[in-house]
Amino acid sequence: MTRVTLTRLTKSYGPAIAPAVDAISLDIPSGEFVSLLGPSGCGKTTTLKMLAGFEDLTSGTIAFDGQDVGHVPAEKRDIGMVFQNYALFPHMTVRGNLAFGLEMRKVPKAEMARRIDATLDLVQLTALADRYPRQLSGGQQQRVAIGRALVIEPRILLLDEPLANLDAKLREEMRVFIRDLQRRVGITTIYVTHDQAEAMTMSDRVVVMFRGHIAQAGPPAEIYQRPASRSVAGFVGQVNLVEGRVAAPGTLAESRFGTTALAAPRAPGAPVTLALRPEAIDLLPADAAQGLPARVIAGFDSGAIVDYRLAFDDGSEIEVKAINRGLHVPGTALRLAVDPARLWPLEED
Amino acid sequence: MAAAAADRRRAVLLILPAALLLVVFLAVPYLNILAISFRNPGQGTPYAPGWTLANYGRFLTSDLYQGQMLNTLWIGLVTTFATLVIGLPVAFQLARADLRLRGLCYGIVLSPLLVGIVIRSYGWTILLGNNGVINRGLIGAGLIERPLPLMYNSLGIIIALTHVFLPFMILPIMSAVQSIDPALSAAARSLGAGRVTVIRRVLLPLAMPGIQAGCILVFVLSLSSYVTPALIGGLRVKTMAVTVVDALLDTFQWPLGAALALILSAVGALIVVIFARLTRLKWKG
Amino acid sequence: MARQVLNLYSLVIYAFLMAPIVVVIGASLNAGAFLTFPPQGLSLRWYAAFLHNEVFLRAIGTSLWIAAVATLVAGTIGTMAAVYYVQFAGRRKEQLRVALLSPLLLPEVLTAISLLFFVYAVGIGTTTMFGLLVGHVLICLPFVFMNVTSSLEGYDPDWTMAARSLGAGRWTRFRRVMLPLIKPGVFSGCLFAFVISFDVFTISFMLKSIGSSTLPIQLFDYLKSNYTPEAAAVASCSIFVTVAVVVVSEKVLGLRIHRF
Repeated sequence: MTRVTLTRLTKSYGPAIAPAVDAISLDIPSGEFVSLLGPSGCGKTTTLKMLAGFEDLTSGTIAFDGQDVGHVPAEKRDIGMVFQNYALFPHMTVRGNLAFGLEMRKVPKAEMARRIDATLDLVQLTALADRYPRQLSGGQQQRVAIGRALVIEPRILLLDEPLANLDAKLREEMRVFIRDLQRRVGITTIYVTHDQAEAMTMSDRVVVMFRGHIAQAGPPAEIYQRPASRSVAGFVGQVNLVEGRVAAPGTLAESRFGTTALAAPRAPGAPVTLALRPEAIDLLPADAAQGLPARVIAGFDSGAIVDYRLAFDDGSEIEVKAINRGLHVPGTALRLAVDPARLWPLEED
Repeated sequence: MAAAAADRRRAVLLILPAALLLVVFLAVPYLNILAISFRNPGQGTPYAPGWTLANYGRFLTSDLYQGQMLNTLWIGLVTTFATLVIGLPVAFQLARADLRLRGLCYGIVLSPLLVGIVIRSYGWTILLGNNGVINRGLIGAGLIERPLPLMYNSLGIIIALTHVFLPFMILPIMSAVQSIDPALSAAARSLGAGRVTVIRRVLLPLAMPGIQAGCILVFVLSLSSYVTPALIGGLRVKTMAVTVVDALLDTFQWPLGAALALILSAVGALIVVIFARLTRLKWKG
Repeated sequence: MARQVLNLYSLVIYAFLMAPIVVVIGASLNAGAFLTFPPQGLSLRWYAAFLHNEVFLRAIGTSLWIAAVATLVAGTIGTMAAVYYVQFAGRRKEQLRVALLSPLLLPEVLTAISLLFFVYAVGIGTTTMFGLLVGHVLICLPFVFMNVTSSLEGYDPDWTMAARSLGAGRWTRFRRVMLPLIKPGVFSGCLFAFVISFDVFTISFMLKSIGSSTLPIQLFDYLKSNYTPEAAAVASCSIFVTVAVVVVSEKVLGLRIHRF
């Protein structure tokens, strides 16, 4: 298996425009599933294309197991790639698509058949081996694309928004399928997506990118619970931004919801913004002994979950995500309670 | 070193043969013909040393050449107009015909292209001659007593050219109409537009690129066509293209032929440009 | 109602389009010695006459040979140019397109004359078929280019990328992936090229060398002085050859390319 190391990797399309990818460094241990997450134009796809060898890098290095591959042409780089629209060869059967990469490697006939059969089994397509891509459903085509990338036993697997063209239910099934498959094969995998739920549920590690830079890299829970910046907090899930102030001696942040510890000391009295996830707020009845009084403005009922918008007496608003145990109509007075540990002080960005 | 950049450099090899062909055997010959049109006429040789404007002067002072030029342009314009009027409804019919029928109709529209211009023109000589199918039919039906003069005049040339170039009008318009979303006419109808209004305000404007392409194609083809005018017009009506070819092949007057061909092309190009301006054509596929 | 009027009108125009072809084939079956339509009695005698006529047979041979060579050359360089145009031409795309279509946009008679002067200027003249072949390739090029370009519009560049990621080199990518997928366009482009070359008149007329008359030229020369049904028989044969080329290639190659 392969360890992937990016060092100050840069892609620039000219001196006049900001680099598409700006000196990013990232170390991906063997067998890890990493997602590159960010809005369109953040450089995630460009990074993937440089990894695959489809784009020349401007500067920096790409190393597989310490060996520089940055200038190895794509066809010699030994990567498996799954494209957003699958890019299955329409004039070849499923088996033909899988055989293509093995033929390029001049794998002997008998071994080829064995490997194709094993891969077909892996992606659960044995029964459809002789179909053409147009005879398959979206999810089946997706599995062919994955099988075609894996059958060559590449050093790394790259996936470029592979679920973007599937409907919602199938997308969730495929998330599980891909994650499960990756665990079994144990291949180092880099997954590009703009869908934060996808990145969160599938990855060992999420790399959030904005404007060509890595904004934060870490396990999904860390990205969600302890976002590094306002942008990360805002991009990964919904968030309430709570105004607070640094309390003496500079290691605590205080706000109307309580006091929480700062990761590093700051100047006492300085303003600080705290991230508070909507589901971290408990709704209590108006006559409860604790909590801050607020009034319901609107509730958006999506079945199991209700998204409320509430207003405090001073007019400021807050969003709360609650399990649906009876809807609170607008105008209802409630109290909001928060565990101060769920308040996360953000770095200014 | 950089793989993608090297690919792009290597890709130039793809365009190289076509580029060489067009430069060496099209651009250079066109410059050459331009130069030759300013040469002195030769005795026994295609042209003599020295430069002159006399070849263009001969056109400007010759009533014969000017008359032929006007007649050629007239034939081109009428042919273009006739193919447009005749072809437009067919293009719409073809674009909206159901699938099975469309294949057959498409084949019929294409068939003249497969058959060859000499043969088609020849077919028209059989139809149009004094002893031809049309005249004998009309005489037989007692409608006329003497054969109508359908051959050896501009009318015959226009009839034949209209037939010969009709596919070049129908096909571009058809492909433009096909790319119009059928829901658009339904939308216009739902907004209260009548059938005529839908055609005038929705379909025709959207089919305009095809109409423009068809008109330009037919006009240019008509101006430079040789076979049809030569066969149908005979010796009596000569279009400019026929005069030019005769000047070159029969009397070896290269500089004069070059000048006349260039004048014809320049006037044709001017009319195309004016037409394009008037209909605000953008040079797009 | 309007629909029926339109259909009826179109039917009349289709008849108009077919008329000369029907007339030519009909006249070729004439039993009499004069060209009349409808024919005076049916006979194949003029086909027999034509089949014993060296001049016409040689002209057909010449036409087929030139069309084959022109199709091969124009097919190859036109396909290459189309691939470049769709995948690599950046800012100059529009100019490139106009340049590649220019043999179609420029008056054929002017192109023919220019080329005639040019082959004389460089000393080749019309002693060989070189000029004639170049002229045919020029005229055929836009048809190949247009057809291949339009089939490349439906070609997903990711297919090439996918083949690369699977280890295919440049030539393999073209041969195994791109060519099979754009084959319909290449095929119809070449078919067009063949038919156009078989039919081109003015260029052949100006650039023919001694003894290299193509069928349209030979027919034209014949028609200037003769008025027998033999010309109609020749013309009909030419029609049959073209239709046969189209139909056979559709059946033989067409079925395979439409498989996926």
